[in-house]
Amino acid sequence: MKEADRAMLEDADYDEDNRLHNTVRFVVFSLEGERYGLTVSRIREVLRVGEIRDVPGSAAEVLGVINVRGIIITVLSARRLFQLPDKPHQDQARIIVVELDESHAIGLLVDQVQEVQDIPEHLFEPLSNYNNSRGAKGISSIAHYRDQVIIQVDLESLFE
Amino acid sequence: MDEEILQDFLVEADELLVQLDEQLISLEAAPQDTDLLNAIFRGFHTIKGGAGFLGVTPLVSVCHLAENVFDRIRNQQIDYDPSVADAILNAFDVVRDMISALQQGERELEEPPASLLTSLEAIYRGDVSESADDSTGSEPSSTESEASDADLTTLALPDDLDPDGDITDDEFEALLAQRDNLGSATKSNEPASSVSLALPEGVDPDGEITDDEFEALLAQRDSLDSATKSNESASAVNLALPEGVDPDGEITDEEFEALLAQRDQTVLAADNSMPTTSVKPKVDQTEPPNSVSKPVSKTAPTVSKSVAKADTAPKHKLAPTAAAPESTVRVDTRRLDEIMNLVGELVLVRNRLLTIRSQDAETEALANAVSNLDHVTTDLQAAVMKTRMQPVKKVFGRFPRVVRDLSRKLGKQIDLELRGEDTDLDKNLVEALSDPLVHLVRNSVDHGIEMPEDRANQGKDKTGKIILAAEQEGDHILLSILDDGKGMDPDLLRRKAVEKGLMDELAAQQLEDSKAFMLIMAAGFSTAEQVSDISGRGVGMDVVKNMITKLNGSIEIDSRLGEGTRILIRVPLTLAILPTLMVSFDGDSYAIPLTSVQEIFDYNADNVNFIDNRKMVRLRDKSVPLLFLSNWLKPDAMVDDFTGYKVVMVSFGNQRVGFVVEQVNGQEEVVIKPLGVKLSNLQGYAGATITGNGSIALILDVPGVVERFE
Repeated sequence: MKEADRAMLEDADYDEDNRLHNTVRFVVFSLEGERYGLTVSRIREVLRVGEIRDVPGSAAEVLGVINVRGIIITVLSARRLFQLPDKPHQDQARIIVVELDESHAIGLLVDQVQEVQDIPEHLFEPLSNYNNSRGAKGISSIAHYRDQVIIQVDLESLFE
Repeated sequence: MDEEILQDFLVEADELLVQLDEQLISLEAAPQDTDLLNAIFRGFHTIKGGAGFLGVTPLVSVCHLAENVFDRIRNQQIDYDPSVADAILNAFDVVRDMISALQQGERELEEPPASLLTSLEAIYRGDVSESADDSTGSEPSSTESEASDADLTTLALPDDLDPDGDITDDEFEALLAQRDNLGSATKSNEPASSVSLALPEGVDPDGEITDDEFEALLAQRDSLDSATKSNESASAVNLALPEGVDPDGEITDEEFEALLAQRDQTVLAADNSMPTTSVKPKVDQTEPPNSVSKPVSKTAPTVSKSVAKADTAPKHKLAPTAAAPESTVRVDTRRLDEIMNLVGELVLVRNRLLTIRSQDAETEALANAVSNLDHVTTDLQAAVMKTRMQPVKKVFGRFPRVVRDLSRKLGKQIDLELRGEDTDLDKNLVEALSDPLVHLVRNSVDHGIEMPEDRANQGKDKTGKIILAAEQEGDHILLSILDDGKGMDPDLLRRKAVEKGLMDELAAQQLEDSKAFMLIMAAGFSTAEQVSDISGRGVGMDVVKNMITKLNGSIEIDSRLGEGTRILIRVPLTLAILPTLMVSFDGDSYAIPLTSVQEIFDYNADNVNFIDNRKMVRLRDKSVPLLFLSNWLKPDAMVDDFTGYKVVMVSFGNQRVGFVVEQVNGQEEVVIKPLGVKLSNLQGYAGATITGNGSIALILDVPGVVERFE
């Protein structure tokens, strides 16, 4: 089957997919042109990038700390976590505040937040089926959905 | 089991345990103290009552036996000697374990050890000598059978009580007391004189029983009870009829109230003596209060001088409540923490407003409002902090027991003196200080105080002395542990330091004595030849130091060989708000805890020398190492001209270091907030805070910075 045909077919199946299968709601963000998905259930809020206070001596992926309504939250660079080259952040950059547990949250600085999408669960394929040259840390699976590749971020291994 | 009632019970039991712990130890010094005996009796009794209500049978049985033993002791039938004390303290431990098991969510408790029950039973029966040797329980069967005998005895509900209704505390007490009575009568093979209770005249027997009437009945029963037990009815039922009172006359309500008040007074006297370690009763119980002009005794014959003696517990629950209306509220500490956090936020907003005002004071009205807010916030902060304050007694209370057990085990004679127990400090601090202090006190007992014969040989009193003191010193609490033991030998410590490779010979020789003592706080430094299971000075002392440092506190050691050791601990009054000195570099603010700041002066290159490969500043004929914060915090900046910089002299433990900073911004009270995830273990920071201008400042942890820098 040609790539175009396949996309058409999947489009036609779209509504059916949503009806028949469990879907998971993702916030899709982009890094270096690639699309990543983070389950909505773990996201507390998405913030514009304000002043990030540097913490000398901290690990490389730590950009610093921010003040979110009186609570100090550590901000990590998603680029550094995924071993992508540093780039000064643009206007569209956002900090996604992710809940680690009830009392702990952590911020993830990404290039851009794209959209919120419901993706059928069964479309995700475990990453072991692919060759991952960058190492699979923080990435659990990949979905081909509506002509896009979405990489599912695995928070546990990302922040361990 | 009703969870809510259980939680209430556990809170109450916790407080009672603290009191009991203290009282049991005091009792050993004054075994005849009636007030103390009564207080202990009541303590066990109250726990038993609650446990019975909740159906925690194992707890009931231990408390019941302990209570019985104390009943006999206070009736002077047995003495509270060390062997009885051991058994009772054992029972106390079991009770405490049970309570803590309940607190940890366990609901099915194991039966108390049979050996304990046996020994308590033996003591209760007056068979003290047997119980002393026979704590392993050779006679569990006899105990069981006796216990079941007692259980089998039918208990009669008082006539006027509805057998179908819910049982109340008082009724439960009455039943238990009844059972005690029958039980003891059966055991001693005396005919169980039926305890007949007479209702006071003028009381409608069919009407609802009131608390007061019930009290009177109980009091009546007590007298009969003790009469039966002691076979000395004449002396036990001590009728004290004040002169000028017609014994046949009708008792009036007022007179009855007066009697109750008299009795309350006595009970209160006993209660009052509880929290103090002093075993002297504060109120002379034989003196009726002046206001009671005509105490009359007819319908309640036992309300008399001997009340405290014959007092069984059901009264005490009602008495204090009746005497003093409830003026306290229990609040969940989490709620207090929340309020504290909010106040913290308020303090930050205030700081921010103060900054804005100082920058632009255009309207006077605004300036006034801000300074008003400033005052209110400061007061609010103090008020909220007070709600979290607890007397240091909470920690100190456990030490008499710790010292007693240890000294008995080691065969030492030690007198522990507690000072300043009423000093208040933050609840979190009270809890956090507990472990380090226990460690230090155990150290003093184990290594500080010598054996009695050694002490005698040195011409010292055989009984060693440990003084544990607390006092407030400004916004700090000063805790000291002083012993008159053998002290520490600085030369020995220096040698050990060299042996362990901590420093070379020359450095060791140059070490001042005070610094040599601090060596025992170094990790892995133990001078005890053999590490005992109790403590080894050095083993864990580094942990103590870390714990104190975590509390933003400091620790100092002073010792004289042959004379004793003094350990001083300084901790801030509260953990939530920290006075700091704000410094900055390149626009970033850092907060240095003010407690460690000694002085600030201008950096002057002329006074700086290169000694031993590091820069030192001369300060009043002493050289103090310098630490260039800017270089550490911003290594890329490569500053080498420090003209205009300031030196902030900080001290911790016995060390002094000069922090070189670009700018000193002044003092600010900050709210400590934990650094976020992945940063909490970063050395050199104690946390972060929001400054007056809304940005984040990092709070430096002085010892951590120095350690990391070196």
